[in-house]
Amino acid sequence: MKRPLHLLANRDSLAGVAVVGVCAVAWRLTAGFDEVPAILSQNVPPTFFPRLVIGTAALLGGLLVAGGIRRCAREAADQAAADDPSTPIDKARGAVLPPPVFWATAGLIAAAGVLVPLVGTLFTLGLVAIALPLLWGERRFRLVLALALGLPGAIYVVFTVALGVRFPVGQVWNLL
Amino acid sequence: MEPSGLGIAFSLLTDPVVLGLIVAGTVAGVIIGALPGLSSSMGVALLLPFSLYLEPVPAIALLSALYCAGTFGGSITAVLINAPGAPPAVATAFDGYPMALKGEAGRALGIAAVSSVSGGIISVLTLLLAAPLLARIAYSFGPPEYFALGVFALSMLASIGAESALKNLIGGCLGLLIATVGIDLTTGVERFTFGVPQLLEGVQFIPVLIGLFAVTELLNQARHLGRESVSATMSALRLPSREDFRRVRNTILRSSGIGVFVGVLPAEGSTMAAMIGYNEAKRWSKAPEEFGKGSIEGVAGPEAANNAATGGAMVPTLALGIPGSATAAVILGGLQVQGLRPGPYLFEEQPTLLYGIFLAMLLANILFLFIGLFGAKVFSRISLVPRTFLWPTVFALCLVGAYGLNQSMVDVWIMIVSGLVGYVLKRNGFGPAPIIMGIVLGGLIETSLAQSLIIFDQQWSGFLRQPIAAGLLLAAVSVGGRPLRRFLGGLLARTAGSARRA
Repeated sequence: MKRPLHLLANRDSLAGVAVVGVCAVAWRLTAGFDEVPAILSQNVPPTFFPRLVIGTAALLGGLLVAGGIRRCAREAADQAAADDPSTPIDKARGAVLPPPVFWATAGLIAAAGVLVPLVGTLFTLGLVAIALPLLWGERRFRLVLALALGLPGAIYVVFTVALGVRFPVGQVWNLL
Repeated sequence: MEPSGLGIAFSLLTDPVVLGLIVAGTVAGVIIGALPGLSSSMGVALLLPFSLYLEPVPAIALLSALYCAGTFGGSITAVLINAPGAPPAVATAFDGYPMALKGEAGRALGIAAVSSVSGGIISVLTLLLAAPLLARIAYSFGPPEYFALGVFALSMLASIGAESALKNLIGGCLGLLIATVGIDLTTGVERFTFGVPQLLEGVQFIPVLIGLFAVTELLNQARHLGRESVSATMSALRLPSREDFRRVRNTILRSSGIGVFVGVLPAEGSTMAAMIGYNEAKRWSKAPEEFGKGSIEGVAGPEAANNAATGGAMVPTLALGIPGSATAAVILGGLQVQGLRPGPYLFEEQPTLLYGIFLAMLLANILFLFIGLFGAKVFSRISLVPRTFLWPTVFALCLVGAYGLNQSMVDVWIMIVSGLVGYVLKRNGFGPAPIIMGIVLGGLIETSLAQSLIIFDQQWSGFLRQPIAAGLLLAAVSVGGRPLRRFLGGLLARTAGSARRA
């Protein structure tokens, strides 16, 4: 017999719980909207549509939780019949964890956002053009270097020279 | 539309620059479609910020050409390496790759090219005829009808995949919620702005789009590094023989019809059209046992259908302002960013633009036949471009595209956060297309609902007194309520089963 929490440990139910949680937070945020007299809002206050959407999403999230529990209970019954001792949590944990290179890539993307105002767009692109291929296992260093120089160069020619887009130069260079 | 609009559009398209852009869009579309991981939706999303530097006609013509060609491009890698370049080509791989393994890659790609072109041309002609008719009907639409139409379009998200119906609807709601960020136009109240001045005008569409499509896929690629595909060899692309053409003729016509119909339905796109096209090709085939082992009908069916869906998807996009697919939603966003008002009035206000789009799509469809015929061997090598060099380039375009629109770092962060959140959502079964649909339709749905309620004096029953609105809302409940009905049906069946056992 599965404990209730184990029935929740499936991707759909957890996603549903997260949806309901986000909806709760969003609903709470709508409470902070400025109040407007009904005559001005013509009886359609600024909270009306967001709350309608949030309520619908929460209902759908609830259905997702319930659907996941139902499926998990069915699978648990099948699993018991097959005498498999692993819990849904064990299986989920094994299937979900991404490799370290994924986390490093996500970190690099976020770092690029931090670096742009500091060292400038083109320099950041050059760094990404070096770091990402190396991170992903590329070891042809000359090609990596060519990309690191060619990519920001091409972007500069096309966008700054031809289209007139001015990219942030970077606070660090302004200080020097 | 005035007939002179066609003449002006034709003269615009004979301009060498515009013509060059359409050729470039077609070549870029085939390349993007052929690259596994890059889809026409992502290509259009990446190109959108740069198209804003162009006049509306060449800009939208460029995006439309990329849309058409990108759908075909996916078939090249589907046939040669069993790795569909884009989701609409998944069904093409079922029989295309077995053909390639038998040494018939050139024949499979020839069938794919001819079927795609046929489907594409049929759909553009349908677009040319159906869009103005639909627009004429839409002239009589008021806020209640537009609200009902928007809700119907979102409800169609439930039919994209049976298993993910609920998640698609939740994604649509998330998109609607994102669309509410900024100042409420009726009352002037700030909503979800968190004190960030750049959010007062709302979340910019393009950074979200780039994040959801491109950054999400970049992270997806990082997760699946090291997966290798076995590539089949190809000597040359071959046009179908008379016998081959006779065998696939009816399949092409049938699948083109299916593709146009599925494309016209809001939210349904090329992928679903291709799957239905494949299934119907098998159902009607005289040799269904050959399917999955290298049937030419199995290649023609999905290819004709997925390309036919492109023109079909543009019908509601242009005539009603309701996107027919994810890529059409991106193009719709492009029209809005260009300051245009998609919908029936576009036919009066911008006939040249509309004819320009029709002609560009027609030209792209003809062009990619030749590009496919002469360049397939080259394009097949595109899949050999190392991911380690491709994806830093894609990321550079993401960063520049998100920044370039308003030259704002907030947009860059919106792109990055959208990408990271989009990845988490995608891993849990929430695709980017419903969110984009929600964002695109959010303004229309909220405004028309508010106007309708004011007209009806806050009485929701007012919608039922409008026949078109009532019909559309009924259809929306019928389609969108399916997950709830399935859930309740399962619950009732279980309860009845328990009662019987007791």
